[in-house]
Order: sequence, then C-alpha cells, then structure tokens
Amino acid sequence: MKARKAITIISLVVILAFGLAAVVNAYLNIPIAYDGSDVNVVDLYNDPESYDVSNPDGVADIIVKENLSKTMAANNVAAVVFDFRGYDTLGESFILLTAIAGAFVIVSRGHKKAKKEEEKQ
Amino acid sequence: MRFKSGIQERSIVVKCGADSFLPFAVTFGVYIILFGTVSPGGGFQGGVMVASAALLLYLAYGFKNATKALNPEVLRVNEACGATLYVILGMLGIFLGANFCRNVFFNDGQVGDLISAGTITFMGYSVGYKVLTGVGFLLLLMLGLLAPDDDEDEEEEVAVE
Repeated sequence: MKARKAITIISLVVILAFGLAAVVNAYLNIPIAYDGSDVNVVDLYNDPESYDVSNPDGVADIIVKENLSKTMAANNVAAVVFDFRGYDTLGESFILLTAIAGAFVIVSRGHKKAKKEEEKQ
Repeated sequence: MRFKSGIQERSIVVKCGADSFLPFAVTFGVYIILFGTVSPGGGFQGGVMVASAALLLYLAYGFKNATKALNPEVLRVNEACGATLYVILGMLGIFLGANFCRNVFFNDGQVGDLISAGTITFMGYSVGYKVLTGVGFLLLLMLGLLAPDDDEDEEEEVAVE
C-alpha cells in the first residue's frame, strides 16, 4: 500500500510539473492576436460605434470582407454554419440522428418488456 | 408513473388555443427555414418550431389522434432521408472537382435572393427537414411512454359516467 501511495504522489507531482511547464511555455510563446489594453471600456460601453472594426484579423477578416464574394449569402451566420463549417453541421445533425435512434431502441425494448409482463400476469 | 395533474386533455380552452396557435407556429417555422440564408434563423431553429406542432396536437386531441395525424414511422424514415440529402449535397463538391462541403455554384442570382447562395440554401433546407421530422418523432416517442394509459383511463371514466 505504501508503494502504491508513493507511486500516486510521484505521478501527480510529475503531471502537475508538466502542466505548469506547458502553461508557462504557452504564455511565453503564443502570439497575442488581440490586445485590448488600449480600449477604454467605459467609453466603449457609452458609444459602441467608436470601436475600430476596420482591421479584423485572421478568420474574422475573411468572413467580414470576402463573405459576399465567396458565398453570396446575405446572412453571415448561415455562411459560416453551412459553408465554412460544413463538416461541423454534418456532425451536429448526425448527433441528433444517433440520439433519436438510441431513444427509439431503448423505448421500444421497454414497451416489449412491459407487454411480456402483462401477458404473464 | 403518471403525470395527471395540470392540463386536462380535450378541454375546450386547450383545444381552441392549440387550433388557433398551430397554423401560426407552423407557418413561422417554415418561414424561418426557407429564409435561413437571408434573415436570422436557419434549419435547426425553424425545424424545432415546426416540430412543436406535434406537441400542440397532443395537448389538444390526445396521443392516439396525434399519431393518426403524424405517423411516427413516416417521420422516422423522413429523418434518415434528410440526413442522406445533406451528405449528397456535401458530396456535390467532390463530383464537381473540389473539396467535400465546398460551395460550388454560388454565383447564380443577386445577393439577397433565396437561391443565390448555392448549396448553402439547400443544405439549410435539408437540415430543417431532418430536424423537424426528427424532433417530431422524438416528441411522439416520449409522449407514447406516458400518454396511452392516461387515454384509456379517461375513456373508462367517461364510459362509467
């Protein structure tokens, strides 16, 4: 038992050390995409239109500027859900299919069991 | 386990309320599905709204009449058809020489038209079709667990009276 406890403690310590190292490494190395230090939050709340949207970065840039030329959809959300993230929507709809199939199997087995019990009585 | 408190089936108030609300719910849900590419909304949201018709039918007319109006077996088959339709629309990109789920013929019409956005529109329709049949089937399945005993009890009570 003592050996087990020692192994548990050692493994926990190792995991904790690696996790801390990963966090520190990520904090030091990942580039900061958006730094909100220049924005005054009270001013932004009072006047939301003063927020600078002329230079979005990354995917937001593509979606905002090239949405119409890439998809012709007036609704940006529909363009993202069915075009840029078509795989994701496929998975979501198949989750629904799987859930309904599972519920159907469970419920129909319950019905059969109930009928058998009624026949026995 | 029975849930008898609260709503009385076949009450005239519930029946009239469901009758007057059902066409609006179905029309609004179908509108949300059809105009998913132009206005807020889409397949999932509109499909769930249309599927509430099953619940309204159950509240007003009981489980047996609701399953007469909406056959659960037909709904189950139609849901699989909607899923297959979505996959076929995604495969269109492969057939025409691009990636899976690629939007291939999006340059027809003007911005804001219903059929202007290529496969996005039809994918939205297929997802809406799938969700409205699937959630309707799920609602009828869950109600089928609780409802039929209640129906028989009420019929017996009416016969005794």
